[in-house]
Amino acid sequence: MSGAPPLKSLLQEHWELAQTLRHLQIHFDAERCKGVGQCYEVCPVGCWAPDPARQKVVFHDGERCIACGACVLQCPEDAIVLE
Amino acid sequence: MATAFMKWLERRPALYDRGIRWLTFFRLATLQRGIAEQYATPGVHALEIGCGTGALTAEMAQRGAEVVAIDFAASMLAQAEIRLAHEGLLAHVSLKLMDATEITDLTDDAPFDLIVSSLAFSEMTPPAQAYILRACRGLLAPEGRVVILDESTPSNPVSRFVIGLIRLPLRFLTWVLTRATTQPLSNFPQLKTGAGYDLVSVQSSLGGALKVWVIRPAARGAGGDRAVILGRLQDKVTLRTRLIDLWALFLRIIPPYPKIQPGLYTVGEPDGNAPLLVTGNFELTVRRLVHAIDGKLDAWVLVADSAGINVWCAAGGGFLTAEKIIGALHMSGADSILNHRAMILPELCANGVDGWKIRRETGWGVHWGPIKAKDIPAYLREGRKKTDAMRWVSFPLKDRLEMVTVTLGFYGLLLLVPIAIFWRGIFFPAAASLLGVSYFYAVFMPWIPGRDGLAKAVPLSVITLLGLSAYTLVVDPVSPYAFFKRALGILAMSIFTSAELQGMSPLMRGEQANWVWEGVIAGILGLISWLVPSVLGWR
Repeated sequence: MSGAPPLKSLLQEHWELAQTLRHLQIHFDAERCKGVGQCYEVCPVGCWAPDPARQKVVFHDGERCIACGACVLQCPEDAIVLE
Repeated sequence: MATAFMKWLERRPALYDRGIRWLTFFRLATLQRGIAEQYATPGVHALEIGCGTGALTAEMAQRGAEVVAIDFAASMLAQAEIRLAHEGLLAHVSLKLMDATEITDLTDDAPFDLIVSSLAFSEMTPPAQAYILRACRGLLAPEGRVVILDESTPSNPVSRFVIGLIRLPLRFLTWVLTRATTQPLSNFPQLKTGAGYDLVSVQSSLGGALKVWVIRPAARGAGGDRAVILGRLQDKVTLRTRLIDLWALFLRIIPPYPKIQPGLYTVGEPDGNAPLLVTGNFELTVRRLVHAIDGKLDAWVLVADSAGINVWCAAGGGFLTAEKIIGALHMSGADSILNHRAMILPELCANGVDGWKIRRETGWGVHWGPIKAKDIPAYLREGRKKTDAMRWVSFPLKDRLEMVTVTLGFYGLLLLVPIAIFWRGIFFPAAASLLGVSYFYAVFMPWIPGRDGLAKAVPLSVITLLGLSAYTLVVDPVSPYAFFKRALGILAMSIFTSAELQGMSPLMRGEQANWVWEGVIAGILGLISWLVPSVLGWR
């Protein structure tokens, strides 16, 4: 049977989690956006705004992003990446 | 720290294996072998629900059965894969990561001559058990059998007591590994009849604590009414709710989380056109939802299994998923009583619940409701329209005070108990500083400059150091060395508080982002506490 994971890998995992959490940023591909607006529906901190005239959304406030990932999961066009 | 310990345990399904073997006095393996010998004859096409670490899977594959084995815990499946690869049986087994409530997706693999399940049904709620047994009927070949090996309740009171004691560590292990709690299958006779099965045989072991039931579909079919309504939820304050509130105020982070049975409930007197609201099964969540809507509207409430965790954290941690909600919907039979196909999900579970998967697989419309339950009546009145105020999280003073108390309950235990034991002299100053710094921070958080907890640690430290200096000068003058020690203590506490309490705010990222820096800063402070007195000759 496999033993316990070495402490090192556990520390490494936390290090990576911490780094990821600190540095995650939204990358928005406006080309792909069809203005479905699910991101606006689910963003709890108001990073997105609908732009009905252009049938798109606008990503306007990355500073507020808490990297929860809701917009990424709910975008049907895969136009949003968090990395 | 507690998280790290849990993570460590979670990586050890081998422990679970050994634990179970031990706690069943090695009877489990014998019973599993017996099932395999009798039913897993060469060429038999079998489905195993909840294969765990693959003990029964291997027994069956060894005897020539072709097995589809499913489990919802990835760590367990990984262990099963290791075992099966080790025994050279992987070619005969198809391992799938899925919840048992999704087995209707297995129609491509059906029909099965045999469906087995070992110690998995006792981890499910009664509606899930009934739903899955019904679903198995559709997956079985004409002469197929369902064999269930699980815990039962011994009829003899002495055995019952002994078995109860033995089950405690087993339940803990299961909880750590899968976040599921187990309940013996005491009502299996009624369960199988309701789901449309006849008993073929039953075998009893360990004084009735373990049983093997063999059942086959009955000609009469399953019982009629598919909708299972678990009851009416009312906004009531009782001694029990008060006790839960008290526990949740201080020790919410520490399991067992108060939870309610997942399933379909009513609020008020809903008809087929009333809205369907979905939520997780954290007791406090459900109660706050009911408090917000009871008396204001009639609704159906579908409680999905979120492992007793609030919806946001559960969705973020993978405990509340589209699969769980699809499962809850299927089990409830809600489609047989509702005229519409629209469910309202809390906006805050959108970080982990794939709305498109629910739409695709159930045909139901998914609508993201408001953040706060109190906005639901207005949201529904406006025809499911959210204002921005309903859409965005806020962190008002009341919530900040609640959350800081919740966090302090845990950290207070973690820090103050060891101090009380090993360092009694500083207990009162340490406790007073921890409370003072934490509540000060919670109250003034919005006005303390800084984007995140680490950045806010700088102004917070300046404020607390100024406070400490004033206190030392005016109230309690001490030697420079004593002041140095106090200052270092309050500095460490300010940084820790600010960095860790980041996690309580919905407006900042998880506090795990700070852990590396907290470690580095602790190291530097440690070094200072050791170097400075030596250099200045304070020792």
